Amino acid sequence: MSALILVAEDQTDIRELLVMNLRAAGYEVEAVADGPAALASQKERASDLLVLDLMMPGLDGLEVCKALRAQGRSTPILMLTAKSTELDRVLGLELGADDYLTKPFSLAELLARVKALLRRADLLRAAQANVGGEGRILRNGELEIQPAKRQVRFRGTAIDFTALEFDLLLHFASHPGHVFSRAQLLDAVWGYSHEGYEHTVTTHINRLRNKLEVDPMRPELILTVRGAGYKMRDEP
Amino acid sequence: MSVRLKLALTIFATGLVTALLVVATLVYSFQRFENETAYRRGMAFLVRVVSMYDNIFDMHEQSPEEFQRWLRGLVLYEPDIELYLLDAAGLVLAKTGPAPLKPGLKVALGPVRESIERMDTSYVMGDDPERMDAGAVIVAKPVHRAIARTGAPNAGYLYLVLHTQQLPTDRMDVLRSSFARPAMVGVIAVVAFTTLLALLIIAAVTRPLRTLTRAVATLSQRGLAAGLTVAPTSPLPAPTRDEFGQLTGAFEMLLDVCRRQWNALRRTDHIRREGVSNLSHDLRSPLTATVACLETLDGRWAEAGAPADDRRLVEIALRNTRNAAAMVRSLGDLAKLDEPEYRLRPEAVDVGELLDDIVLRFAERAAQKGVAVRAVPAADAAGSAPPHARIDVELFERAIANLVDNALKFCPTGCTVTLAARRLDTQIEVSVSDDGPGIAAADLPQLFDRFYQSRSSVAPATGDGGHGLGLAIVKRIVELHEGEVAVESSLGHGTRITTRWPAG
Repeated sequence: MSALILVAEDQTDIRELLVMNLRAAGYEVEAVADGPAALASQKERASDLLVLDLMMPGLDGLEVCKALRAQGRSTPILMLTAKSTELDRVLGLELGADDYLTKPFSLAELLARVKALLRRADLLRAAQANVGGEGRILRNGELEIQPAKRQVRFRGTAIDFTALEFDLLLHFASHPGHVFSRAQLLDAVWGYSHEGYEHTVTTHINRLRNKLEVDPMRPELILTVRGAGYKMRDEP
Repeated sequence: MSVRLKLALTIFATGLVTALLVVATLVYSFQRFENETAYRRGMAFLVRVVSMYDNIFDMHEQSPEEFQRWLRGLVLYEPDIELYLLDAAGLVLAKTGPAPLKPGLKVALGPVRESIERMDTSYVMGDDPERMDAGAVIVAKPVHRAIARTGAPNAGYLYLVLHTQQLPTDRMDVLRSSFARPAMVGVIAVVAFTTLLALLIIAAVTRPLRTLTRAVATLSQRGLAAGLTVAPTSPLPAPTRDEFGQLTGAFEMLLDVCRRQWNALRRTDHIRREGVSNLSHDLRSPLTATVACLETLDGRWAEAGAPADDRRLVEIALRNTRNAAAMVRSLGDLAKLDEPEYRLRPEAVDVGELLDDIVLRFAERAAQKGVAVRAVPAADAAGSAPPHARIDVELFERAIANLVDNALKFCPTGCTVTLAARRLDTQIEVSVSDDGPGIAAADLPQLFDRFYQSRSSVAPATGDGGHGLGLAIVKRIVELHEGEVAVESSLGHGTRITTRWPAG
């Protein structure tokens, strides 16, 4: 069964193109032209993913996002925005969007993001379904990861991570000693590889180090390999 | 020296000079007063003697010794008076003083005649036979022979010398204690009081000036912009009616003009930024649609095996549209970075690591072009801490990537682009240098100005030419970090752009 995607975009041309290409990629697609219609459609039939334009008449993308999250829905949301601002991104992600794309974007990129969001939603569902079981446990020195529960313990204490931070840490921990470039990490963890977003990887590695290293400036767990990328140290 | 000090000193000096003049005048007047009193006393004495004895000269001629004794007897109780008998030519014939005189001593007759003839004079100064080098107050009266009592010429003169200076040593003391001391105290008190008063008056008069100076200093420190938002009311003192008030008024007017112009400038700048931002925003949707169309078409034609020429057309259209999209994006970004409310999201990172990552990002493109891109390890002597900076990672990477991108664009095959970071005191210096064609000196000053595109530099033939925004964005990002950017270049030898960032 293919995933159902709702596209809410007020500009007819772009909406049409999105629908056309998402269908061609094998998804089932529903399209609306404004915010209220998007909410109404979700009431009728929940989709697996929403592609929302930020600027729409009636209710804008952020408000739709807020309304859906208020109803307790965790449907992944990809926000399309014409403003390329850090502020918008922060705002969007804080209000519950899972990812965003700045116009003008390429279709390949949009499709990659959609795929990544759907995959992550699947993984999350699987993890939630698995809450009862212990599953396997990854260990590296004092670091202990329970992928099924999405739990991390370091030196015996539980540490909170955001979804992306956890995914990145899990990826490193699953391949100790293996060196990844930022582009590879972007591809493997974020699910897309696109020029200009590598700094996101840097920022997330920074955050992991701040949570897991004694001196984040002299890391011992997540190491830098000059001219190649990053790796987690081999299990001691 | 401040105006206040100058004024105070001037007033102090004037007071002092005035006081000294007053003292000098008083001393001189006192001297005159002394002399005049003495003269009158001498005159009264002599008049009495001459009117009582009409045979003075005869007495002398009869017995000089007897006469001398008689003369001494006259001044016995007048210690400051000496009497002399002169002949008609001024020759001293007899004297009362004990000191021996030079034989044949003559005194000047001018003062003698003056004393006799001028009744209105206050006193007369003449020779003192005992001390011919210094003058003294003298009084003279003519004496006659008994035989020729009337009509005959004078036989001689009775000459009286008053020793006003010699006698009254105790009187000088009296002068000092009863006159000089109060006078001096008075003078000092007056000078001090005047100076103090002057200081107070000057302080009062210059207060508005100082207030104005302070206000202007505050204003120039805070700047007009801050003054506008922090205190919309005037920071200047309330104008008075005097010259200072006029100055304040004039300054207020100047400030007002500046404020108006500044507001107009800000408005224009705001409109310009809004305009660019809106334009960039409005262009995004059509560009998105166009890119999406072309991509869809490209995909379909690839599947359907369309003619190579057609596919090439789509490819060209797509590449150019993407370039246009990149420009629009840059424009919008720059407008965004320009907004006063834009906030950085700084985090501490190892800049060396970041440079390595940026090199990796460009590795493929550089290899295609045959240009080497490398990051040299941070020159940290003695294993000191790696260059950590506190920066907005996204913006930093954007800035450095723009610089590398630019270098790649202008450098021909075989060149090397080098990234380096080193720690300065409170800053991290990151440089991007190449050994490419270099930039003409004439272009350097405007290099970081937006929309500035060098006419003389070699335009890249690839069609993804610069749009004059990349370096402007670099400059803006560095400015947001309160850092600096500088460029050195020489034609044929390469270019080196240095940026400085806050250390972590």
